[in-house]
Amino acid sequence: MEDTIVILGGGPAGMEAALSLAGRGHKVYIVEKTGSLGGHLSRWDRLFPQQEPAQDILEELLNGIRKADDKIEVIYNAQVQSVKRRMRGLEVMLSNQQLLLVDALLVCCGFELFRAERKEEYGYGIYENVLTSADLEDRFKNRKVLCSDGRVPERVAFVHCVGSRDEKVDHTYCSKVCCVTAVKQACEIKELYPQTEVFNLYMDLRMFDRYFEQMYHKAQSQYGVHFVRGRLSEVSETADGKLQIKTEDTLLGRPMKLTVDMLVLMTGMQACAQTGELSEKLDIKVSPSDHFFETKDLFLKGNYAHAKGVFLAGACTGPKSLPDTLQDARSAAESIHRYLTD
Amino acid sequence: MHERFANAYDPFVIPYMIGLIFVLAYLVIALVTVIKNIPMSDRKKMLRHLFSFKIFITIKDIIADCLLHIKIWKKNRLLGYMHSSIAFGWFMLIVVGHIEIFFFAPHRVNLPYYPIFFRYFMMETESTMKGSLFFFLMDFFLLMVLSGIALAMIKRIRRRLFGMRRTTRLKWNDQLAMYSLWCIFPLRFLAESFTSHISGGGFLTRSFGMIFDWFNQFINNDALIRPIWWAYSIALMVFFLTLPWSRFTHILAEALLIFMRNAGIRETDKNNGYASVEIFSCSRCGICLDPCQMVSSASLRPMATVDFTRNVRLRQHKPAMAAASYCLMCNRCVQACPVGVNSVRLKLNLKGASINYRYPNRYDYVETENSKKSETVTLTPQVVYFAGCMSHLTPKIEQSMLKIFEAAGVNYTFLDKDGGICCGRPLMLTGDREGSEQLVARNTEAILSTGAKILVCSCPICYRIFKDTYKLEGVQVLHHTEYILQLLESGMITVRKSARKGVYHDPCELGRNSGIYQQPRDVLYRVLNLQKNAYEGKDALCCGHSIAAEGMPYKKRRMIARDALHKMTEQPVDMLITACPSCKKAFAEIGEADIRDIAEIVCEQLVKRP
Repeated sequence: MEDTIVILGGGPAGMEAALSLAGRGHKVYIVEKTGSLGGHLSRWDRLFPQQEPAQDILEELLNGIRKADDKIEVIYNAQVQSVKRRMRGLEVMLSNQQLLLVDALLVCCGFELFRAERKEEYGYGIYENVLTSADLEDRFKNRKVLCSDGRVPERVAFVHCVGSRDEKVDHTYCSKVCCVTAVKQACEIKELYPQTEVFNLYMDLRMFDRYFEQMYHKAQSQYGVHFVRGRLSEVSETADGKLQIKTEDTLLGRPMKLTVDMLVLMTGMQACAQTGELSEKLDIKVSPSDHFFETKDLFLKGNYAHAKGVFLAGACTGPKSLPDTLQDARSAAESIHRYLTD
Repeated sequence: MHERFANAYDPFVIPYMIGLIFVLAYLVIALVTVIKNIPMSDRKKMLRHLFSFKIFITIKDIIADCLLHIKIWKKNRLLGYMHSSIAFGWFMLIVVGHIEIFFFAPHRVNLPYYPIFFRYFMMETESTMKGSLFFFLMDFFLLMVLSGIALAMIKRIRRRLFGMRRTTRLKWNDQLAMYSLWCIFPLRFLAESFTSHISGGGFLTRSFGMIFDWFNQFINNDALIRPIWWAYSIALMVFFLTLPWSRFTHILAEALLIFMRNAGIRETDKNNGYASVEIFSCSRCGICLDPCQMVSSASLRPMATVDFTRNVRLRQHKPAMAAASYCLMCNRCVQACPVGVNSVRLKLNLKGASINYRYPNRYDYVETENSKKSETVTLTPQVVYFAGCMSHLTPKIEQSMLKIFEAAGVNYTFLDKDGGICCGRPLMLTGDREGSEQLVARNTEAILSTGAKILVCSCPICYRIFKDTYKLEGVQVLHHTEYILQLLESGMITVRKSARKGVYHDPCELGRNSGIYQQPRDVLYRVLNLQKNAYEGKDALCCGHSIAAEGMPYKKRRMIARDALHKMTEQPVDMLITACPSCKKAFAEIGEADIRDIAEIVCEQLVKRP
């Protein structure tokens, strides 16, 4: 008898896990709340550390799903309404009134970007030339990053850790990918406009993964990106529409004012809005410290939720880079397979 | 009525006398200490007050507050009755008891224990009926006290009946004093009842005495008379001996506090003799617990004011300091205090006293900041605008204010546009008065040098120090809510009303601490559909992000902010409006509702002039 698995979320984690499970002969439903697959990946232009086009990765995943259409069924514009526990497996009622009887459930609901408006002092939504890293990525797609008045920016500053490692917004964790994304985007600005001066305002630079450190070196040696250790305190607008930022160069121990044309906020990751609701429906735990889902442990049960037959993968268990997410999805598929065949 | 014993003495009076002498000695020492620790000018004020007509007002106040507890009645009738029945009943027992001596045993006036144990020493005669009024009065007031004690016992179990969700937890010292106090009157009742077939008694003691007489056929209860009088005397002694370490010091300290306050003595920036009278006046009634949001929203019961005052009294410096550094200084407890203890001031002074090192020349840099400024001012502006550091962190407020100035066609100068100097209030709230004064001096100079006649500020934290501490001759200090109202009323700006619903949050510093309640509402009625909520005016909640609470972690602040936001937005509204950048940030960081400053919403609704 073929086992059935439902995956909540059709981002990279959901897609990769579906492919893995289908390859092992299981029937998979992907429940996606929007009208298309891909999640945050579909919004990105190029990926760190080697500038691969995000579109290529997404296409490959989508192709896989298309090929396995006998095993994978995608249900669009739907969410979980209620979950009932059966003798064997679960009974999942969707918002479109479709009822799924499944043997296991995998949560891949991912993350949300921190809403930069919450840090009003950084001026997002107030000054036109303050962008988030995601906004910048949109502009990279058109190969045009211009100020609101249509000028090429002469000076751009990246602010790290916006909504990450910030006790004031209750996000005390590191979002992992913003440092390297800022370095990537800083290099891309320099590629587009070699005359533009680029600053990175950071707390710590966490270049932890393969090729990251090399990127950081390249940013300095090849592109001449400036790195200033110091957190931004406030932003104001000058009479000529430029942005004046106040920070402290903590290596020199001096307060510093900088006038820039464009400010990019590296918004961090936060648990998605449905986390609380979903945790109640599935009777699984949420970490009180970072509000992401809690796994049974961090070692051998890293994809097990605190309820029988429920598994977790991707950034819904904390910030992850894309390679980490894909690996986590495959590992979740392995855990589910073991659970079903035991 | 005549005396039973020629020597007018029984050994059971000894415990009472020990207690009485102890407590009197304690009071003399305490009074001398207080007087020693206040400035000469205050001592003169006290002396002058003692011999002025105003003393009658003081006596009236003492009767109203210490005996009748009028303020507590206003909060809850049962709680009020409990307090006044004990205090007033006890007081009347003492007064009527002394009058009785004057009537029936005038030669014993010099024996301090005589009125206390009067019934034991006297016996009924044919003419006793002449004393029936006294029998009635004494029994009546005894019953009053007994009913109060009964309520006090019930309060320990069912405090909600008394309008209190929380009450104080007692330590052994308070427990011992309280239990002995609880024992005094039932024991007195038993002793007088047992003796009533000899001494006579009123409706209470004589009636119960008859019941006890009936038991006489089984046991000789005359043998119980002296042990019960002994017990009564011992209960009094225990109460007096534990009094200095218990909360019952408030009985006398509060009277002294009222006297000193009416004499014109005010709290200063040092915790002096007046401050210690305030601390000893705290009756630990616990009325301040429910208003405290640290307690109700952030599980910070140990930081409550009622425990702060006890810790200061018992010289527990560490927990007292912790409470002072956690306190939001929202003044909700001060407002609720029936005794009027200004605990916020006590905390500030404690913080100030514990700063033991200051960096030399900390504020030298402010001089250079100012000299830059004076060059830029050319034309004398009508208004000088001071946004303040917190408004720099909420640029929407600043932006809106500048647009409003422009719409009104006001000639203004933006004093701290490029940073500028702190108003000095944050330092003052850490207790660093000295540092604060340096900043105040610099800013005063800068403000006066502009020549403007109106100072508008956006932050109520700054507003309060500008108003209370700065000496800005000829300059009117306005918070932007007041200023915007002036502009609207004089027709310098016009707005259209939006249909959106909003609730207004009174910032502590603007509302409770500066009395600005009506102006923001007058403005908001013109721009949107203003809704009422249960936490307005003096009952307004604190956002939890007070800059005074430098010791409180963000987690706790957020708990307070979230709880306050939920309470104020119980009914669905489109937005919450406040008038303080700090409150705005506090609620905005919760990320659950649309939070605006009053300046932003006015700016949005501005009607452009043709």
